[in-house]
Amino acid sequence: MVQIFRPGADTVVRFVLASLATVPVFAVGGAYAVWRSPYVTGQGVTREQPVPFSHAHHVGGLGLDCRYCHTAVEKAAFAGIPPTDTCMSCHSQIWTNAPMLAPVRTSLAEGRPLRWRRVHTLPGYVYFNHAVHVAKGVGCTTCHGEIQTMKLVRQAAPLTMGWCLDCHRDPAPNLRARDAVFDTAWTAPADQAALGEQRLKEYHIRSPERLSECSLCHR
Amino acid sequence: MLPMPPLGPPSRREPLTSRREALTLLGAGIALAAGGCTKPSEEIVPYVRMPERLLPGVPVRYATSLSLGGFARGVHAIAVDGRPIKIEGNPLHPASRGATDVFAEAAILDLYDPDRSRTVTEHKSGIASWEMFERALAGPLARARSRNGAGFHLLTGRVTSPTLLRQIASLLRAMPDAVWHVHEPVDDTHATRGTVRAFGRSLRVLPRLDRAEVVLCVGADPLGPGPDQIRLASGFAERRRDPGRFGRLYVAESALTQTGIKADARRALPPHAQAALLVACANALGAGLPAPDASEAVRRFAEAVAADLTAHRGRALVLVGPALAPEHHALAHWINARLDAPVDVIEPPDRMDGRTPAGLTALAAALDSGTVEGLAILDCNPVLTGGPDLDLGSRIGRAAFSVHAGTHGDETAGATHWHLPLAHELEGWSDLRAVDGTASLVQPLIRPLYGARSIHEIVALFGESPARSGYDLVRETWHETWSETWRESRPAREAAAFEAWWRQSLHDGVIAGSAAAAITVADSAPPSLPPRMGAGFTVELRPDPCLWDGRFSNNAWLQECPKPISKQVWGNALALSRGEADRRGVGAGDVVRLSVPGRTVEVPVAVESGVADGVGVLTLGSGRARAGAIGNGIGADAYRLVSRAERWLVTPVDLAATGRTGAVLRTQNYVQVEGETAKLFRQIDLADLATATPKGIGADQPSLIEAWTGDADGHAWAMAIDTNACIGCNACVVACQSENNVPVVGPEEIARGRMMHWLRIDLYDAGTPEAVKAGFQPVPCMHCEHAPCEPVCPVAASVHDGEGLNLQVYNRCVGTRFCQANCPYKVRRFNFFGYADGQEYANLDAEPIRAQRNPNVTVRARGVMEKCTYCVQRIATERQGAERDGRAMNDVVTACQSACPTRAITFSDLARPGNPVSALRADPRHYALLEELNTRPRTTYLANLRAPNPDWAEDHT
Repeated sequence: MVQIFRPGADTVVRFVLASLATVPVFAVGGAYAVWRSPYVTGQGVTREQPVPFSHAHHVGGLGLDCRYCHTAVEKAAFAGIPPTDTCMSCHSQIWTNAPMLAPVRTSLAEGRPLRWRRVHTLPGYVYFNHAVHVAKGVGCTTCHGEIQTMKLVRQAAPLTMGWCLDCHRDPAPNLRARDAVFDTAWTAPADQAALGEQRLKEYHIRSPERLSECSLCHR
Repeated sequence: MLPMPPLGPPSRREPLTSRREALTLLGAGIALAAGGCTKPSEEIVPYVRMPERLLPGVPVRYATSLSLGGFARGVHAIAVDGRPIKIEGNPLHPASRGATDVFAEAAILDLYDPDRSRTVTEHKSGIASWEMFERALAGPLARARSRNGAGFHLLTGRVTSPTLLRQIASLLRAMPDAVWHVHEPVDDTHATRGTVRAFGRSLRVLPRLDRAEVVLCVGADPLGPGPDQIRLASGFAERRRDPGRFGRLYVAESALTQTGIKADARRALPPHAQAALLVACANALGAGLPAPDASEAVRRFAEAVAADLTAHRGRALVLVGPALAPEHHALAHWINARLDAPVDVIEPPDRMDGRTPAGLTALAAALDSGTVEGLAILDCNPVLTGGPDLDLGSRIGRAAFSVHAGTHGDETAGATHWHLPLAHELEGWSDLRAVDGTASLVQPLIRPLYGARSIHEIVALFGESPARSGYDLVRETWHETWSETWRESRPAREAAAFEAWWRQSLHDGVIAGSAAAAITVADSAPPSLPPRMGAGFTVELRPDPCLWDGRFSNNAWLQECPKPISKQVWGNALALSRGEADRRGVGAGDVVRLSVPGRTVEVPVAVESGVADGVGVLTLGSGRARAGAIGNGIGADAYRLVSRAERWLVTPVDLAATGRTGAVLRTQNYVQVEGETAKLFRQIDLADLATATPKGIGADQPSLIEAWTGDADGHAWAMAIDTNACIGCNACVVACQSENNVPVVGPEEIARGRMMHWLRIDLYDAGTPEAVKAGFQPVPCMHCEHAPCEPVCPVAASVHDGEGLNLQVYNRCVGTRFCQANCPYKVRRFNFFGYADGQEYANLDAEPIRAQRNPNVTVRARGVMEKCTYCVQRIATERQGAERDGRAMNDVVTACQSACPTRAITFSDLARPGNPVSALRADPRHYALLEELNTRPRTTYLANLRAPNPDWAEDHT
């Protein structure tokens, strides 16, 4: 009787069977890994800006308060990007001829706005509110990272929904005293667990169930 | 059977793609798919100098006014980051009372209409500029001035603006022989002539429905569309909230109007029988006129109405429609004087001292005589609305120099030498007066999008003084008025005092104390009657409840807004009674040709309830040739039937079937549900109200689903809709569309039975086509506590939150439509196409339209289910404000609620003590829709009330 299959055919069949079981697992796992990777989330990505504004210098070095520029952060959903006027309130006095600041001077002279590249982008169906987070004792650096060390701003957190929910389901570890919200050097004290629980009550922060409802962030 | 083709070598065809190309495309596809995962690069563009106190992304409200037929309705326009996105009512304005109508709501879409004219054009050379126009105008203007203005004609719509009246007056002072014509398509000529007959001069009569209890409307539709709708409807509904002052509404009309739906006793009568009814009524009150030729039924009705009116002296009122003759209007004034009726008689707000503007016929005559050297047509469209016998389209060509200013390059713009782009009311300064004479300022929210100028700046071009800004002109008018009126008080620092007054007026949106004072008029004898109207088939023309006189026909929201009674969208139809249609051998959808000597119009037939025999009713404003991408060629142009002698009644009309059929698109189909109507739409006779008991939401019934408890710190949102107050005006429907970025689907999709309105107004009729006992029922999402849509969703896109909202999570939705199938209320809407997101109807994908969108509401993509959210963005905004400031939440007002002129919609938090919805749930009229399904809806209703005449058994519910 003539052999239909060669001796090596068994190996091929075993390999194919094994692949049928493993390839979908690896494909899904791979896709998930890519989906959560900084490549997709933009985490850690530094973006070039028209003016190389350094938070490290202005915040870490000079100690400017966040609210000097981001004026709406306590009042509105959007923290606000400073108008050219704000830059020129100092730079009409110091570094008046720095070539680095030429676009700022041109902007003011020509009345044409600076076009910054957005670093923290949320999808259109997410309605994040800065004012509420600040009022509830969530500090700037909790989400924005060590901004005082960043020469150009990068996205410190992945900004995925899972990351948001991590905190919404257990906000206590990130709750600060209200006067420490804008403190870039804040680190959790040793008794943060107890303080956090206390602040949950003090700030009237809702239950984790309510904080993870769809309508809280999506409309 | 065909023989098989012979086998041969395959023909050598070039493959569509070579292997190399296919691989390239595959690679590119993978690269693009992977690249698509990364976040798009977005820009943030801050101000160079930020306006003070501006918060990015936070809506700002400005008080301003919008006009309808020249009259103002005060509004609050809402802008986000300098972009007007929504119109709401101004509570301080008497013609708005915090509510809006469809036209005000839709005005925001008009602002962003891509078809608006963007540049000055000249009929031969096309695109021109303002400078070129000014140069071209200089010659004709100088010649006109040298002849004291002889040959110079100015045509406007109804003008109530004090600034414009002042400008026209000064123009006419400089050119005394110039002629000012006024043409308002939805005119009140008969009413005005009626006052001339009754009182000796032209006056305006304002009915006070808040004080009138027994009202007889003869062809009048006070609750229907119009500049005074909100004031009248609000007064009517407020009075009816008190069962002791409910009164009774009698209506006699040719076809159902919104007033007719609310009537307690209604008769469908052709116009000549309406006139007979009025005369019979007057005779019963002692007018002593020759007995009218009326049927026994009409006479019996008239006598009963007259008895009811007389029994309520001081609280009874008779209103007459625009189609009836001036003598009938005068007769109504005579009856009202007998009844001591609650009416305010005022000087017309559109009056200029010492000068009565000429009409359109005079202009046509002047054009015929060839004496017109210069013609300026400002913000009106006489070529469309003048009627075919004036034929202004060709007559305007006889003017030596003609110019049209308008927001669109419409029919009239095509006939004149020059066309000037006119600024939208949200783009320029102006002022207006309401129907009751109250003046209000119009302030711009945005700079003109396309280099247009306001009407004041355009009129200033014809004057001698150099061009002025609209702001200066308006401010100057009010400085003069202020100085005359308020100077007695001699404020110490006049400039500062005026500035404070001006700022207050701008802030409030009304000029305090500017309403016209009511005057007393002498009584007169009953007028002699006009000859009896001709017999034969009559066509009654009406302004369209959605398109008005046609000026809104390029507004997609209004085209797709279901007409209150017929629920027709995208077009008009001739309403006929079943009997009339049968007699003439035509059926619903048959296209008929209506002809009067020299003019014809072809229109599909709609067989409707409550239409009188011998009458057909057709609305104006459709069938335009130069409306724009939305309005062109939609429906039939009823202006073809208008003549200079008669605008509202055309008789006799020859009706002939064409053998063709046309589509009458409707959003509600006519269905008969035996015995169900009373359950779905609860109606109670006023006499039975005392014994009525409230019906709950069925929370006492057993259920396998756990009872809804909510959350300890939560709220429980609920809505109650008073069907007795609802007049079906659609303001809520368009307000919802504007607030929630609800897309327009277009006529093709409507024909497939698809629509997107989150809120619809259903019409229920418990009577017969001849004797209608109908009412309106607005139906938004019920936000059921046991929502049938939720368990069937395979991806949990339909879920409940702790505040009792039934949420639709767009990003989870995969479009199975199971929820829609399982929703007993049919309030879920599916994006079969990207109606708002890439596959918009007509030109609605244009860049300007996007600026209208509410940034607080997600624009839904193709394949996603959507529905009413109880304006979750407004709840969220209020909640976030409360969380930020550490206070309790204030009231949340939904878009539909804020728009409603009759306050039929109440929305509140059931968890708050003393909330209004809980109180309404205990009202004896309370009921829930389909409560037997155990859905436990959060949206519930109050039953409709009727107060039929106790003597007529046939009108009882």
